[in-house]
Amino acid sequence: MKLLQLNTAEGLDLRQREILLGWSMVIPSVLIILSLILYPIMYNIYLSFFDVQPLAANTYIGLENHKNVVLDPGFWNALVTTIIYVVFTTLGTTMMGLFVALVMNQEFPLRSLARSLILFPYIAPVISVVFSWQFIFDPVNGIFMDITYERLGLFASRFNLIGSPSTAVWVAVVFSIWKNFPFSYLMILSRLQAIDHNLYEAAEMDGASGWQKFRFITLPEVYFVMGAIILLRMIWNFNKFEEVFLLTENVRVLSVYTYFKAFVGTMELGQGASLAVIQFLLLLGFILFYIKRVLKW
Amino acid sequence: MVKRSTASRKFLFFLLVVLIVGFSIFPFIQMLSISLKYPSEWGTPNLIPERLNFEAYKELLNIGQRAKHIPESVRNLLNETPDLTQEQRETILKKYTSTGDVFPFLRYFYNSFLLSFSAAFITVVFAIFGAYSFSRLRFPGRSIIQRGVLFVYMFGGILLLIPLYKMFVGIGWIRIPPGAFLSLLIIYIVQTLPVSLYMLGNYFRTIPFSIEEAAMIEGASRFGTVWRIIIPLSFAAIVTVFIYCFMIAWNEYLFASVFLKNFKELYTLPMGLKALFTSKNAIWDRIMAASVLTATPVIILFMSIQRNLSGSLTAGGVKE
Repeated sequence: MKLLQLNTAEGLDLRQREILLGWSMVIPSVLIILSLILYPIMYNIYLSFFDVQPLAANTYIGLENHKNVVLDPGFWNALVTTIIYVVFTTLGTTMMGLFVALVMNQEFPLRSLARSLILFPYIAPVISVVFSWQFIFDPVNGIFMDITYERLGLFASRFNLIGSPSTAVWVAVVFSIWKNFPFSYLMILSRLQAIDHNLYEAAEMDGASGWQKFRFITLPEVYFVMGAIILLRMIWNFNKFEEVFLLTENVRVLSVYTYFKAFVGTMELGQGASLAVIQFLLLLGFILFYIKRVLKW
Repeated sequence: MVKRSTASRKFLFFLLVVLIVGFSIFPFIQMLSISLKYPSEWGTPNLIPERLNFEAYKELLNIGQRAKHIPESVRNLLNETPDLTQEQRETILKKYTSTGDVFPFLRYFYNSFLLSFSAAFITVVFAIFGAYSFSRLRFPGRSIIQRGVLFVYMFGGILLLIPLYKMFVGIGWIRIPPGAFLSLLIIYIVQTLPVSLYMLGNYFRTIPFSIEEAAMIEGASRFGTVWRIIIPLSFAAIVTVFIYCFMIAWNEYLFASVFLKNFKELYTLPMGLKALFTSKNAIWDRIMAASVLTATPVIILFMSIQRNLSGSLTAGGVKE
């Protein structure tokens, strides 16, 4: 038997053998992705049409879940919160990344140390930094209230900034910018380093000011990479769960809202599935719009 | 054109750098500071504690806990009644060393490490062969695979959470601790596989084909070339991808919170820390010490691969 197989393998020409080898090496990964990513997504769409119980059988209820989701004001609140969160974190992260990249592209002593230190927020586990941020805004002990209330007298009394959803969303935005700006910074910096120095020298000879050099040389060069960063950031932040939920449960962006619907209290898994589908479709539409209109691909 | 004096320019620039670095690392300094402060000092904004307090670390790492919890009177009683049997002594001591309300940090650390290490290891093995296949071999369907890997970037965890939960409930794994642990391991492999395939694929394309050709002329098989040429040549990249996967699994909270909810002894660090914060043990110094101990291994790992990692990050090989 073994000899026979060997013979058939011998009988194949080089090209066929390459095809066989290629598929046999990639097939485990393909099977994993098909069965545990693509199948679950299809299954999720299927579940959104059912009343899903954690342990019992599902019953078909048509569009009931989708209707319940859309008629719930909580969903619209979550959508608005998500849009605020995504827009401000994306803009903030990209702007700060660009600014820091411009600064770190200059020569100064201890530059490599500074470059390592500013990556800390990005690499540290979310869970290990959220408590420190909560402490900073803690009404009794935190340094934020110490400065704004005790020293500057900006507020009438100490209060918990993370406590109410309307202010907590801004803490979540600042936290996300702090956590993720190093990624934009790294991408933009590597693009900056690739810009030809002769361009700047030529511009200086023509008497260009610092702003003009930035506007007409640097900005066009980083334009494309910034477009890509903004796209990635929007996709990631639209789906963001941990960075919001672990910092404060008060900020109900869509992912957090879905999590609470599906796994806290009555466990409305069917509605959760429906929410996940709606969230995905919103994201998809948004990406298509962005690519067509903003990046003009 | 009048230029500001270079000295003041330099000073302003220096201030800017200090501000940026300060903004980045202030929360880390804050947590280190609180983890070493006595409670009476928490309200003062000074970052350097007046007196160092290592109690939180000792408690988390279970150093010298045994003697501490036994009240003086009980210790005297034990010393003054020599006719107690060894067994009786043990029972009395046990009452005071019960670790019921102490945060089992080492246990959670071990769970997290076991999960992250196994997931990263298995992922990297699959990814080496998968990535080699679609970056080096020509076969029908390879461009679909390549693009499919990129497409997976768009799916957030929340989209997979409910169907995967139903699937693993369906096969009955969630009800028993080993099943729950294994489901989570499989999920972490799935979550890290696409990005690993992508990063390694990008790297393998940079290795000149002529090196492989030379080995094959010498009579090495294709598998032999992968084993003896590709893996040694891209060892640094493979380690980087491994650590990257390790970090993704180490940080994961969403799936862990759903799959391990009922098994306290299986909690990973993020689960444990979150539970510690909401429990009666929520004391700032312990929370901060636990934060420091959770962040440290990741930061050390990162420092050791920094050059490679920034390279692969800028190549676009990241997923959040």
